[in-house]
Amino acid sequence: MANPNKAVEAPKGALDAVLVASENVPEDTPQIRGYDFNEGVDYAKLFTSYRHMGFQATHLGKAIEIVNNMRTWRLSDDPLTVDEPDEYRDPAVRAATKCKIFLGYTSNLISSGLRETFRYLVQHKMVDCVVTTAGGIEEDFIKCLGPTYAGAFSLSGAELRKKGLNRIGNLLVPNDNYCKFEDWVVPILDQLLEEQKSQGTIWTPSKIIHRLGKEIDNPDSVYYWAYKNNIPVYCPAITDGSLGDMIYFHTYRNPGLVIDLVADIRAMNNEAVFARKTGVIILGGGLVKHHICNANLMRNGADYAVYINTAQEFDGSDAGARPDEAVSWGKIKMAGDMVKVYAEATLVFPILVAETFAKNQSLQTS
Amino acid sequence: MEADHEFEGAVSGASQTYPMQCSALRKNGHVVIKNRPCKIVDMSTSKTGKHGHAKVHLVAIDIFTGKKLEDISPSTHNMNVPNVSRTEYTLVNIDDGYLSLMTTEGVSKEDVKLLDNELCNKLQEDFDSGKDLLVTIVSAMGEEAPIAYKEAPNF
Repeated sequence: MANPNKAVEAPKGALDAVLVASENVPEDTPQIRGYDFNEGVDYAKLFTSYRHMGFQATHLGKAIEIVNNMRTWRLSDDPLTVDEPDEYRDPAVRAATKCKIFLGYTSNLISSGLRETFRYLVQHKMVDCVVTTAGGIEEDFIKCLGPTYAGAFSLSGAELRKKGLNRIGNLLVPNDNYCKFEDWVVPILDQLLEEQKSQGTIWTPSKIIHRLGKEIDNPDSVYYWAYKNNIPVYCPAITDGSLGDMIYFHTYRNPGLVIDLVADIRAMNNEAVFARKTGVIILGGGLVKHHICNANLMRNGADYAVYINTAQEFDGSDAGARPDEAVSWGKIKMAGDMVKVYAEATLVFPILVAETFAKNQSLQTS
Repeated sequence: MEADHEFEGAVSGASQTYPMQCSALRKNGHVVIKNRPCKIVDMSTSKTGKHGHAKVHLVAIDIFTGKKLEDISPSTHNMNVPNVSRTEYTLVNIDDGYLSLMTTEGVSKEDVKLLDNELCNKLQEDFDSGKDLLVTIVSAMGEEAPIAYKEAPNF
């Protein structure tokens, strides 16, 4: 028997297989290093450390970087090309020409406390164009009429139905809020119809949202500020929610209201077509994600893209598609700056805004 | 034509309609939709919810024209219900499109027009063939029309 303590050469093949000699990593490759709490609780430093934390913290760090790029880009940063139209040759014009920022979010996020973040962005004209779904419109107005409450994911549907409470994740909206919404919105629908008949107004979803923002006259509302600041809000699925219910009932009581989608798709696509640079910030998937990307297709792709959602790509849905899929369609530029943060938006979007728009504003005002 | 058999202001005494809370309406009952007296053929109620107040969705048939009408109303609102009456008369004659009728008490009535519908066409046929007929006239909201007829029993 051989001495078990005697060193034996490992088999040659196994050694080669396990210990592949590493190539030198390029010198500028970032190293992974997290936050050292010995430096105290410094949130700015903590979030800066995300860039090199790894996994989704790194993605969020990249999202912060990209949004800051969208925010600070000016046409004057780009070299003057020979085919530059005259109107963009003036240095002052170039220095004032910014990246057009599209913000998209799903209805549940207006129900959540992110609504206040969206309102902040719209109030201070930090975004140029908003896309959402029907709930993303009406829940903002409904919050001006009655509060949304904290509940729990586990509450029984049958029990809640008996109590007249509607659940959105772990949020609760009482039926009474929708009754108040009906009482508020139906007379406005009457007015829209009246103006359609008497003045020939052709209503589109964005025009209706603008009007509702004016009518609500409440600085808590996202769309009040969109109205004030003339920021367009597109919602091609405006009938897919309580607003649609109201419009449906309205056709019986006072028929005739027409909503034109064609005028809005033209306006939406032109938002992208005539912009010198575009950036998209899209929270969640479905309509809001595709509508913004599709408009950017018209200009051969967005320059910056930040997605925040939890959807997966294996089912082929656009909701789960990474930015690279949009590159294949020409919805994001090949050389674009893009990231998808795999995270639930309420967790990370406030951090993203804090480290970009809000930080910059507080620097300017202090 | 509709205008031909509307007699506005011809009603005295009992009012043409009375209010009823929408939630108290029932299928096969009557209701006024778009100012027409109707019979309810279908109704469904949606409870208070995302769409706002509880609502009643009514599908009804105009008792004179047979036209289908729909309405949706908050269940707590009042809707008008027409006072509908049916009276049977003996058909005496058909003169220039008008029915010449007589009550069992012998009072004559000559102001109900024969309509251009299946019932009235058949009525005309049967009358022309010499049958003794009893005609039921429905009356609501100042309007009257034949709604049914049968052969008078032989005594």
